[in-house]
Amino acid sequence: MGKFQELILDIGDLWGQYGALYLRGIRSTLVLALVATAIGCVIGFASGVLNTIPYTKNDSFLKRFVLKSIRIVIRIYVELFRGTPMLLQAVFIFYGLPYVTNNMYRFNSIWLASILIVSINTGAYMAESVRGGILSIDPGQTEGAKAIGMNHVQTMTSVILPQALRNIMPQIGNNFIINVKDTSVMFIIGFPDFFAAHRSAVGATYLYFPSATVEMAGYLTLTLVASFILRSIEKKMDGDQHFELAAADQLVMAAGTYRHRGEREDSYED
Amino acid sequence: MKIKPSVTDAPILSIRHLAKTFGKNKVLFDIDFDVEAGEVISVIGSSGSGKSTLLRCINLLEMPTGGEILFRGRNILDRGVNIPEYRSHVGMVFQSFNLFHNMTVLDNCVVGQMKVRKRSRAEAEEKARYYLDKVGLLAYVDARPRQISGGQKQRVAIARALAMDPEVLLFDEPTSALDPETVGEVLEVMRDLADEQITMLVVTHEMAFARDVSQRVFFMHDGVIHEEGSPESIFERPRKQETQEFLSRFLAR
Repeated sequence: MGKFQELILDIGDLWGQYGALYLRGIRSTLVLALVATAIGCVIGFASGVLNTIPYTKNDSFLKRFVLKSIRIVIRIYVELFRGTPMLLQAVFIFYGLPYVTNNMYRFNSIWLASILIVSINTGAYMAESVRGGILSIDPGQTEGAKAIGMNHVQTMTSVILPQALRNIMPQIGNNFIINVKDTSVMFIIGFPDFFAAHRSAVGATYLYFPSATVEMAGYLTLTLVASFILRSIEKKMDGDQHFELAAADQLVMAAGTYRHRGEREDSYED
Repeated sequence: MKIKPSVTDAPILSIRHLAKTFGKNKVLFDIDFDVEAGEVISVIGSSGSGKSTLLRCINLLEMPTGGEILFRGRNILDRGVNIPEYRSHVGMVFQSFNLFHNMTVLDNCVVGQMKVRKRSRAEAEEKARYYLDKVGLLAYVDARPRQISGGQKQRVAIARALAMDPEVLLFDEPTSALDPETVGEVLEVMRDLADEQITMLVVTHEMAFARDVSQRVFFMHDGVIHEEGSPESIFERPRKQETQEFLSRFLAR
């Protein structure tokens, strides 16, 4: 029991000194995760759509060549960023840019660099999710749209993508929650997030465990709230479970019964 | 090239020597017929005889590998034909309904009118409500496809097709995926459409419908129209042996 009191007191001390720092860190973490997930989704959707433009043997050589090249480029992008640690990507890009341009270009803003790296990383994961989401939609939906005269773009924007988006909402949520946690690796290039606040605080106080407790509770709160919000967004996307019925359906008939021609006129006569 | 439905004497559709092969597999060959305004044609035959492929070729959901499809006298297989525009004049009702799951019943009937016909929402909704009323589902405008029965879905699909003001409606086994209880309501709607002289090409296993409602019946066998004629001649006096066998097998069930 004494240990628990000690922990509470230590956390109190920490919060008194570094509370503002923790809170600023939480804000940075949230903003970075939100912005990067949003941009990542845009990248993912663009890749997913470009990846699924259909082509057949009858299409012109140019069209087939362009579409095939796009697919190869996206494939390389996805494999490269999915297959290496984000921590390393951050170092690679942040220090690589000035290195290869002989200091002509460098990241003047840690924010810009962090958003770029996390977005590209999220985009790589989302590209595959979106592709899967599009492929999971019943081909009948595309045929139904084509049959009323919609072109490819109209079919995608009105029918396929809204359904694909709904289907991959859990993955988008997943990515967001992963981003909330994994943006902590951006400390490597000096990003001032929630985890960076921990590093500053313990550097001066050596209260490793109390600070880690604050961090654990903080991250868990963020992700739990995120889960809850995402669930309610999904529910909203599913639309109303109930609908108003103005009148009964007049045409429902018992098995196998249907009227024969001419019967209608006669049926009211004696 | 714009396909403006013009007032012409040309039949709505003229199919000329239509052929379709999947790899080495000849599914359709030398299909030849006209569809005149106001007529109802039923296409019957065993599964695998090419009925559905014929319909899908007419709507270019499958690309024919030979022959011509003339819509109001124009070959729509020519290069440069605006295929989506052509499709918007040829309604299609699928066996599996293919309603858009992300929209309400009303929006299913509105979206094509707005996107393809460029109608205003108000105009499109009015038309959608008119046709939903016609198929008996005006009360269901706010429902989602997953909330209604198969028969109701198919009636929405018919309303969706009609709202585009098509010149001809293609039905691809519209009642085959329905449970027996809801077949009647869909056939009822189709009978009403026939009464109103709406041009229809119906692939069906409903022999009573083919016999009572259509002016002409095609019996397909091995990728060709093996026998065609009035419902009386096909059902009462089939000349070809395959037709007789098909009908006796079918009616014996």
